[in-house]
Amino acid sequence: MEYDYLIKFLALGDSGVGKTSFLYQYTDGTFNSRFISTVGIDFREKRLLYQTKGRNHRVHLQLWDTAGQERFRSLTTAFYRDAMGFLLLFDLTSEQSFIEIRNWIEQLRIHAYCDSPDVILCGNKADLEDRRVIMEWRARDLAEKNNLVYIETSAATGQNVARAVETLLERVMIRMESAVDKAMLPGRRGRPRDLDNVDLNSQQKSCGC
Amino acid sequence: MALNPQYEAIGKGFVQQYYALFDDPAQRPNLVNMYNIESSFMSFEGTQLQGSVKIMEKLTSLSFQKINRVITAVDSQPMFDGGVLINVLGRLQTDEDIPHAYVQTFVLKPIEGSFFVQHDTFRLVLHDTI
Repeated sequence: MEYDYLIKFLALGDSGVGKTSFLYQYTDGTFNSRFISTVGIDFREKRLLYQTKGRNHRVHLQLWDTAGQERFRSLTTAFYRDAMGFLLLFDLTSEQSFIEIRNWIEQLRIHAYCDSPDVILCGNKADLEDRRVIMEWRARDLAEKNNLVYIETSAATGQNVARAVETLLERVMIRMESAVDKAMLPGRRGRPRDLDNVDLNSQQKSCGC
Repeated sequence: MALNPQYEAIGKGFVQQYYALFDDPAQRPNLVNMYNIESSFMSFEGTQLQGSVKIMEKLTSLSFQKINRVITAVDSQPMFDGGVLINVLGRLQTDEDIPHAYVQTFVLKPIEGSFFVQHDTFRLVLHDTI
């Protein structure tokens, strides 16, 4: 099946915060994920339509998941590369997973395609209200300071799961549409800005004779 | 000190004993006896640690409970100070996660008829390209 955009998102956060359940919930409980053993990455796919300015775009969404290697803090840079948006999860019932968010943000700043990528901070396990230890204002405060969107989610009930992914998609699509400067696009980190032009010129030369 | 001709058996025996303690959360704290309080070094996924206290802080902070481990190969060599160099190639599965390959290298330093782990490096076998 054809599509107009291939969009790749990463789910990040400590082990046990519910990343896999979150993606499982979003992809309608389908478990046909694919595992790439060399980099230790799992991914799922979903097709959807994105509407903008009255036009429909067919989006092929890839959701990349860690496969337990975050327990060892062994994420390779390949994991971050080419991702266009990030779902950063913590567990509302775990102080530690919230504290670690700062480290994850730091990792993102180092490895993502730009210094301020689109990130949705998800306070997951919102269904376990009686066990909550992270008050909403603390998460909102952290999100605001780091320029992230904050959404409380529940992978168990599905609460706000689709909203989180779709909010991220919207932001990434807006960024792509408004990216006048090509260097801001994913996959172009560290590449000299006019490399494309250089290539073009040399091609033109070889074609011109 | 001379080369220890028993290096092969020492390597295999050590690996068995070490992982028996490591893989049982109740016994993991006993690994402290394998390291020296000052002169043991560990590189765990690129994090450098020195001394048994720091090393144990790291090992007991790991968040999984269950480990399924398969050892593929143990390569040992005698060292000129009587120690043993051990390289382990294996696979491990933490809780319900997908199994990952890993590599771990130990240097055992002889001390009063026994050994302690002087060097220990650990990495999951993950690459930067697909």
